[in-house]
Amino acid sequence: MGGAAMNADVTFLADTALAIVRAVPVTLGLFVASAIGASLLGGGLVAALTAGLAPVRGIARGWIFLFRGTPLLLQIFMVYYGLAALGPVRQGPFWPAFRDPLFCAGLAMTCCCSAYIAEVLRGALAAIPAGQIEAALACGMGRVTRLRLIVLPQMLRLALPAYGNELVMMVKSTSLASTITVLDVTGVAQQVIAHSYRTLDVFCLAAGVYLGLTGALTALLRWAERRLDPTVSDGAGEGASR
Amino acid sequence: MTDAIPVLRATGIEKSFGGRKVLKGIDLDAAKGEVISILGGSGSGKSTFLRCLNLLEMPDVGEISIAGTPAPLVRDRHGALRVSDARALGSMRARTAMVFQGFNLWSHMRVIDNVIAAPVHVHGMAREEAVERAHALLERVGMGGFAQHWPRQLSGGQQQRVAIARALATDPELMLFDEPTSALDPERVREVLDLMRSLAAEGRTMLVVTHEMAFARDVSTRVVHVREGRIESMGPPAQMFGPDASPAFRAFLSA
Repeated sequence: MGGAAMNADVTFLADTALAIVRAVPVTLGLFVASAIGASLLGGGLVAALTAGLAPVRGIARGWIFLFRGTPLLLQIFMVYYGLAALGPVRQGPFWPAFRDPLFCAGLAMTCCCSAYIAEVLRGALAAIPAGQIEAALACGMGRVTRLRLIVLPQMLRLALPAYGNELVMMVKSTSLASTITVLDVTGVAQQVIAHSYRTLDVFCLAAGVYLGLTGALTALLRWAERRLDPTVSDGAGEGASR
Repeated sequence: MTDAIPVLRATGIEKSFGGRKVLKGIDLDAAKGEVISILGGSGSGKSTFLRCLNLLEMPDVGEISIAGTPAPLVRDRHGALRVSDARALGSMRARTAMVFQGFNLWSHMRVIDNVIAAPVHVHGMAREEAVERAHALLERVGMGGFAQHWPRQLSGGQQQRVAIARALATDPELMLFDEPTSALDPERVREVLDLMRSLAAEGRTMLVVTHEMAFARDVSTRVVHVREGRIESMGPPAQMFGPDASPAFRAFLSA
């Protein structure tokens, strides 16, 4: 009879694992969509921050202040519950999107993380050594060539470690979507717990799935770093002597 | 030959940084094939002057022309100089080349890509041709086996030789050297100076800000002594290093 109990245990864990793994596409989709959105928006924010027009810079700064300064959970609630309380939104053409919790979570994450990514990119831009730009100016490169050949590639390399960190944070932040009924990995785990009253093993399974996702992402980022510059070794500084 | 258009003509260059006047009116012409060494103490303004010539530093006052083409500068309402035509500025810079104290090789590009960047992306040369020429230039500066290396894998002297190959790749009419050996270990200085000697010998027009007195004396056609933002004295090396040199330059040499 101990064997029967253990059998039930194994069956339960296997069923739970399967249900959680089935929710991975939701988590992954939310992550990928908001990572792409936040990166594009973050790039736009950096362009705005370095713009000549003061109002444009002001808007970008305000955006970053707002979305970096308030909790993501609150932003998710405000998009999902807050906007739905507004008549024009409910009657507007985008209501089908705004009533979808997954869309709302993605939108909030895109806005929030774009602020962080903009700061990462801005830091990288400022860290490009002046001599690299001067060498480009001195040989007569125009603005666009300079941007494409020197500034963007250098910015990308300098930003990659911090940007990767931001992406890993984003994978984990997707779990907040479960608070507005999205059935992602965390949402499914909570659903199982509500039925079974088992907490620790179910949460451990969910945590294992997140570890798998962040582990794969970390490996991908390390590969990208190596590919951009094969002489980079882990954590080491300048390799050559003068 | 005396009527020939100078490769460089700089007139009345003045520059201040935060109220401190670094350049107080410098005139300098360079004829084709001249090698001009610019000497002076630290803070004399010699590097600033050199950087004004390709407008990495914007002079407050003055005129510059490269091989007869004036730099595209206009005076704005406040009397300050500004660039009137970014495209013309680009093509002016494209006719010159600069070698920096800190080498400034693009760290995200391999050696070969550093050398072909300007020919391909500024001068519109076909990639294959640029690569072929780049290999010949790397051979010429003694870096033939390093085309696929990354800048950080090279010593300072090697990086500077690649930087010189990069400068040569566009066949510039005027080469500006901003203390090219000052960041090098003493044993690496020679390899760069020897290379610069050979460039001088092939008739390149060069302006060299340097502390290397032997180079100034033996290689240059003219020595310019900059002191407190002005040209204190200038002349052929035989005169500048001879008994008739100005007291101020003699004092500088013996300091």
